[in-house]
Amino acid sequence: MDASSTGIQEPFDLIRLSLSERVFVKLRGDRQLSGVLHAYDGHMNLILSDVEETIMIVDVDEEVQPGAQRTVNVAKRKMDMLFVRGDGVILVSPPSRT
Amino acid sequence: MDDNTPPPPPPEENSPPPAPSSHTGSPTDFLKGVVGKRVIVRLTSGVDYQGVLSCLDGYMNIALEQTEEHVNGVVTNRYGDAFIRGNNVLYISAAEPI
Repeated sequence: MDASSTGIQEPFDLIRLSLSERVFVKLRGDRQLSGVLHAYDGHMNLILSDVEETIMIVDVDEEVQPGAQRTVNVAKRKMDMLFVRGDGVILVSPPSRT
Repeated sequence: MDDNTPPPPPPEENSPPPAPSSHTGSPTDFLKGVVGKRVIVRLTSGVDYQGVLSCLDGYMNIALEQTEEHVNGVVTNRYGDAFIRGNNVLYISAAEPI
């Protein structure tokens, strides 16, 4: 296997290297989170602190041309500490290590 | 109907299976071959992630580098690194020759 410059051998290494860092999490249901990663497990259950959740709400009332840009309302809320159940996780992105 | 069509060749039941050529291989061989290459990962939601495949595991959890998120052909996000939880993966497509 190509051990690239980052030294990542398995996908979870990416998460392990992001502990105590602010991560971006994409969740099912058009939700995303930004928070500081404190803990995780093999299910991708996550413990995050200082979390901001962003919820994309697509307006279904308005007339929308097919393929046209749909208007999206965005709701945000903040939470001090959050447990995320792993099965809702789609993607986790660590801060760019540059 | 043409009665002069030649009969089909007799089945060669005792012939050995053809030797594997360089174009065949198991799914695992494919995945080993694309590590370190540019790939397109499509999720069941229809969202595509194009990036360099760092590694993956038995759950098909995926670590990507230099990732672009494509929704309906439009780039909607960029991530330096991205962890994709395997249950969301529909397919992994090689985006450059293996």
